[in-house]
Amino acid sequence: MNSLLFLLALPLLYWQGGVESAPALREAGVERLCVPPDMAESWRKAGFSVVPMSQVEFASREKLLTPGIAARADVASPTRSPWVNANGWRILRDSSRDGIDKYHYDLPAGKALLAAAEAFAYGADVILKIDPSDLEEFGRMLSFLRQLPRDDLPTLADLAVVDDGSTLAGEVMNLLARRNLLFRVSPTPLSQFRFNIKLGTEEYPKKEAKDPSLFALKIRRLLTDEQRRLRIYGSEVVICRLTGDDSRVRMHLLNYGGREIAGLRIRLRGAFAKGEVFVDGSGRMQLTDYALTDGATEFSLPKMETYAVIDLPKR
Amino acid sequence: MDRRTFVGLLTTVPLVSTVEGETVPKYRIVSDYRPASVPGMPGLHPGKVIAVKSGKCLDASGDKVNAEIVREMMARGMRELTGEAKEIDAWRRFFDPSDVVGIKVNCGGHPWVVSSYEIVAGTVRNLIAVGVKPSQIYVYKRFQNQLDEVHYAPHLPAGVRIVAAERANRNIDNTGYDPATYVEADLFGEEDTRSNIMRLVTERLTKIINIPNMKDHGATGVTGCLKNIAYGSFSNVARTHQRGKSHTLSFVGTLAAVEPLRSRTVLQIMDGLRGVWHGGPFAHTRRYVFYPKQILFGTDPVAIDRLLLDIIDDKRKAEGAISVWDRSPKYLDVDNGTQRDQNPNVNIIIREPGHVEYASKLGLGVHDLTKISVREIEV
Repeated sequence: MNSLLFLLALPLLYWQGGVESAPALREAGVERLCVPPDMAESWRKAGFSVVPMSQVEFASREKLLTPGIAARADVASPTRSPWVNANGWRILRDSSRDGIDKYHYDLPAGKALLAAAEAFAYGADVILKIDPSDLEEFGRMLSFLRQLPRDDLPTLADLAVVDDGSTLAGEVMNLLARRNLLFRVSPTPLSQFRFNIKLGTEEYPKKEAKDPSLFALKIRRLLTDEQRRLRIYGSEVVICRLTGDDSRVRMHLLNYGGREIAGLRIRLRGAFAKGEVFVDGSGRMQLTDYALTDGATEFSLPKMETYAVIDLPKR
Repeated sequence: MDRRTFVGLLTTVPLVSTVEGETVPKYRIVSDYRPASVPGMPGLHPGKVIAVKSGKCLDASGDKVNAEIVREMMARGMRELTGEAKEIDAWRRFFDPSDVVGIKVNCGGHPWVVSSYEIVAGTVRNLIAVGVKPSQIYVYKRFQNQLDEVHYAPHLPAGVRIVAAERANRNIDNTGYDPATYVEADLFGEEDTRSNIMRLVTERLTKIINIPNMKDHGATGVTGCLKNIAYGSFSNVARTHQRGKSHTLSFVGTLAAVEPLRSRTVLQIMDGLRGVWHGGPFAHTRRYVFYPKQILFGTDPVAIDRLLLDIIDDKRKAEGAISVWDRSPKYLDVDNGTQRDQNPNVNIIIREPGHVEYASKLGLGVHDLTKISVREIEV
């Protein structure tokens, strides 16, 4: 990915404040933003790279959920395995078909950091409307994203979901992603996968999928934990997007829990050398307790706040 | 086949359950530690329990401990356990100056029923008398916030370390656990299927003294030696009980049997000055606190816990409460802690007191009452 494309891949801020707020944006490291068309010229004159966008245009983009954990006592345990609002599955799904490819977040205070990271991790064309009090944090995340090595690797998966476009299939994808069961979305079965999940078939009846959590567990047990490319220990609220090719992998780790996690343990099937680790809020870091065991590579991430990127070359 | 694989296969062989119809999850145990020639559990004295009782160990209110009486109770208990004439020689049976000793305390019953300052301090005093430096003594449990509440420091000599693995029970702080030593099991479909042992246990300690309390427990029936050392030394254990069901029947003993925990836990001192007969492991209210006024000594956690089952159940019967063995759905009010705290005839989980017998089948001690030797001493 060249530098221009990378710059365009960064989450974009939708800012309705007047140009008098320019110093605050500059201080936060924001150089490029969307503004209402009637304010575009003044922002350009202030030295910013500007994309004019009306409120209607902004709202016409598909709205993403505010990412994070939510209280849903009926379907999740608030303490052990809370309900997670995450959008990655949806972005992956949309990217597999024509239609929706532009999104927006309209975020309450405290959510800009995670939303920006999520948008970047899934390579989505996203514009974020944030609470002004989050500007500094948003800028911190932009700064972190800019320093990441450029990469545009394809998604790695353990199975395929044959998408019939239904809400039910979407909920299944949501719960698979929630459990870090890595999948690729396709309109037709993909022969390279042992499991192609097509709802309405004998193996995967729709009535089973009506409890998507239980259904995802069924898929997990069919696949078996031993055969999964990725396992995460030490948290139930970290979701990973795994990309890679024959020579390397990149892990995008997103912490939806809102609290720093220390000592996240990761198991990746295959043999990988120690690579590079980038952690928002901490910079570069070394993986610890690295081990090759039972056909997998295991290591610990000493700490992460919202977002971490781990690049590992294959051995 | 390497040793790690060998250990794993051994421990995934299904065992016969002690509760009809109960299935035992598949456990994968990963540990590179070899057992000692005489593992600490059941240790030097399988099936032997010394019960030292004293009506004078507490004041009339139950709040104040008579330190001198407790000191005497400890001396008598250790001498009787080992057959030594002198207290220091009794302690020398287990420890030498080179040891790094962990004291596993229990603070979950704060403020009323925790490992008493007097017993913990007495244990430290004897270790120092043996020649163990204060800096080689670690008072520990998993959660720092619970240790902070009980605050042992003013009662202990300078230099004794008081350490925890996590700040609190929030499942966000794993650095205090050993990533290479764990039990893996998928109990309820949870994603995090590992319970890792504390690094302190694998990397620092050479010996461990277990100081549990006499308490009822909503999931295990009672919490004594086995539960205190197992759930108090491993991460991610609350996952074993969900929506009224518990896997504690097999999980408690399975954890306690993991090396090096099993080999290094060489002494059990059950603090029964005070106890909890309902609502445990907590003691939010004094309503369920009672006063057994005794300390149990041994090396066999199963034998002591077998006695504890009867102590708690007898007390519950005396109070008109259902038995810890009751599995009837009519007393089950799943996850309703408020009801449980108000009514001793409410269970929030089906209890698994059979975990004690299960642990005996893993070789951790003697469960058969006819084979347990109890020596009672009155001070």
